[in-house]
Amino acid sequence: MPTSIPLQPSTPPRPASLPSAGVPQRRERVLVAMSGGVDSSVAAALLVEAGHEVVGVTMKTFCYDENQGPTRTCCGLDGILDAKQVAERLGIAHYVFDVEEEFTRDVIDDFVAEYAQGRTPNPCVRCNSTTKIRDLMMRGRALGCDAIATGHYVRIEHPPEGPPRLHRGADAEKDQAYFLWGLPRELLPQLRFPLGALTKSQVRDLARERGLVTAEKPESQEICFVPTGDYRGFLAKRLAPRHPALEPGPIVTLDGERVGEHRGYAGFTVGQRRGLGGGFSERLFVVEVRPETREVVVGPREALDAAGMVVEEVHWLGDLPGDPGSPEGVAVGVQIRHRAGSVPGRLFLDHERPRPTEAPGESEAPGESGAPGASGASAMDSNGPPSRVRIRFDTPQPAVTPGQSAVFFQKDQVLGGGRISAAGC
Amino acid sequence: MPSTTADRIYLDHAASTSVRPEVMEAMVRTLAETPGNPSSPHREGRAARRVLEGARARVAAALGVDPSHVIFTRGGTESDNLAILGRARAEPRGAVVISALEHSAVREPALRLQAEGRPLVVLPFHPSGAPDLEALMAATEASPPPALLSVQAVNSETGLVLDVDAVLEQAATRGIPVHMDAVQALGRLPLSGTPALLTLSAHKVGGPRGFGVLVRDPAVALMPLQLGGSQERGLRPGTEDVAGAVGGALAVELAVAEQATETPRLEALRSWLEAALVEEVPELRVHGREGRRAPHILSVGLPGVPRDLLPGALDLEGVAASAGSACRSGASEPSPVLVALYGGEAAGVAPVRFSLGRTTTRSEVEAALPRILQVLQRVRTGFTPPHGPPTPA
Repeated sequence: MPTSIPLQPSTPPRPASLPSAGVPQRRERVLVAMSGGVDSSVAAALLVEAGHEVVGVTMKTFCYDENQGPTRTCCGLDGILDAKQVAERLGIAHYVFDVEEEFTRDVIDDFVAEYAQGRTPNPCVRCNSTTKIRDLMMRGRALGCDAIATGHYVRIEHPPEGPPRLHRGADAEKDQAYFLWGLPRELLPQLRFPLGALTKSQVRDLARERGLVTAEKPESQEICFVPTGDYRGFLAKRLAPRHPALEPGPIVTLDGERVGEHRGYAGFTVGQRRGLGGGFSERLFVVEVRPETREVVVGPREALDAAGMVVEEVHWLGDLPGDPGSPEGVAVGVQIRHRAGSVPGRLFLDHERPRPTEAPGESEAPGESGAPGASGASAMDSNGPPSRVRIRFDTPQPAVTPGQSAVFFQKDQVLGGGRISAAGC
Repeated sequence: MPSTTADRIYLDHAASTSVRPEVMEAMVRTLAETPGNPSSPHREGRAARRVLEGARARVAAALGVDPSHVIFTRGGTESDNLAILGRARAEPRGAVVISALEHSAVREPALRLQAEGRPLVVLPFHPSGAPDLEALMAATEASPPPALLSVQAVNSETGLVLDVDAVLEQAATRGIPVHMDAVQALGRLPLSGTPALLTLSAHKVGGPRGFGVLVRDPAVALMPLQLGGSQERGLRPGTEDVAGAVGGALAVELAVAEQATETPRLEALRSWLEAALVEEVPELRVHGREGRRAPHILSVGLPGVPRDLLPGALDLEGVAASAGSACRSGASEPSPVLVALYGGEAAGVAPVRFSLGRTTTRSEVEAALPRILQVLQRVRTGFTPPHGPPTPA
């Protein structure tokens, strides 16, 4: 099996005197993931201009026949053709690799399972944590590559001492650190992010100057395997017939009063207003999805606020600047959605298993986790950093959404991240 | 295409190979000296017609067939399509039967016919190259009899020689026309048997790309796929490519003439490379070795790595090879041919096909060996060897 090939950690860390723009000086054979979008096109161009032997690769992640929708965005078949054209222009080799099996297993199946459990997944995070980087690295090694590059807007910093660190990209609008907390830590020395110090408009200018066909390509907005944005239709094709996630169910208030009916809880995300129907005396938001009763719980804006949350499947890219087991926890920045920036909070070890139906604001209560898919892992990996943590926000945050990523920062350095399993503290 | 330059070793001759210098010369001369349209009645037209028919006569002589049986097409794929679709349209009754090892140029039109409602029988073949006799009997004894039975002479992905004689013999008992795709057999093996329809392609043997032949027994009715002229007996309308015909005919002639010396030469090179690879990488599977193989193809499979890795990895080390048939390089699903021969385990094997040609030399194959081994070892262990000092681009 492809995945059985061990990932060999790394060339030794490079000396600190090298520039940290992600483009080192030594000539390397670098594999660039080219989606056919403008970002990865420019990333490849910059590496070529830095004198590296660049190998372009497009990962075919999904069976495009299945999608009758438009393929203009980066992951479609057009993307492969655009990537080939750019590679041609840059005079570099380009190959298409099929990772459909891995992508389906690691990203799509998870996406479907999460929605089925009433959570809201981040498939792009899954993709970056699994398919994109891990599979690229494995193939890169087979191709004799020293490093892997992508067009993400993040930076790798090389401190004078210690391992490389992942930082936010310089363009605050485009920063993609939120999607990359799942990167395998031991691979950081081999990752190159040539766009980390650039802004999007600079990248477009660079693409135009170089006459790259992708220069004016629009941003991809939707999830690549659901280009139409019709998640419900996508789920319906993959879930069993009459799966409860797509069956009608009650809309209830926090007091349990039934105020309407929905067409399936898979369509709902915490914080959402659309799809609830009208006629309420106040503006109502989804505050919780309860898959076991098919209830979508609604409440006023204030009910969205959570003092904290439990985060599971935590993955660390840096060292915590303190002891999460101490009574005061560790001060970190916390980002709970894309483009939201981080807010101050405190990170603690999670000694208790949360109840999935815990109401926001309720204090922690012991009990068995009934959350389907909850890892059930102990808070500490044997002597390792915690795999499950609790966050207390300095000020309560709205719409803490189970299934979404929570990423922990120290200034703009990514310390780690995980999946939000429950709001509350 | 220079076959091999200082840092490149071209081992993909079964995909395409360099045009022979004498072919190129003949074509350039024809382009310069033959301005007319062969269908025109004037002197220039008649001159072009003469050149075209001369080419046809030479192909016919090389193959030992009547010139009136030689239809020029624009390539092997077109010949295959004309045979399969053209035959099915001319004979609306009976199934279409193809071997399970066919090139996509046969398989895809057959599948299209099936999608349109035509019965399709896919005939299994053993790794020895022998047809599944029971299936062959059942297919040929069906009523109404099949409209066509198509079988490759040499499998393009593995080099396996199919037992065409067994198929021809059985088909003859019911008068079923046989189509034989002999694209990979030309110049590598003596062409045996007398199928009703025979596909050849010039560019596999040093002719131009875009020139094919369909040898056709006129007793077998075909419908043309293009309409709009009476060229090529109405079976391939369109102004003829006279220079292509001249170059293609010369390439076919030379390939047939040189076959007896080329076959043992290529066989020796192939065997040397195969033995050296298997010695160093014992888990390597050699496809087609259970039967007779064409001398120029070495198809191997490395278990346990992604199917699409090897051609790219070899390319980066200066060796051109393919994952199988060039026409499906980059395709994601396992090769239907390998699955048909070796079952489900073929899916877990990364295939690579090395193919030798007229210009391949012993020293070239020897130079390729360490590069191939480096890639196989690296892919197999997932280990990246350190690179040498930076080299000037």
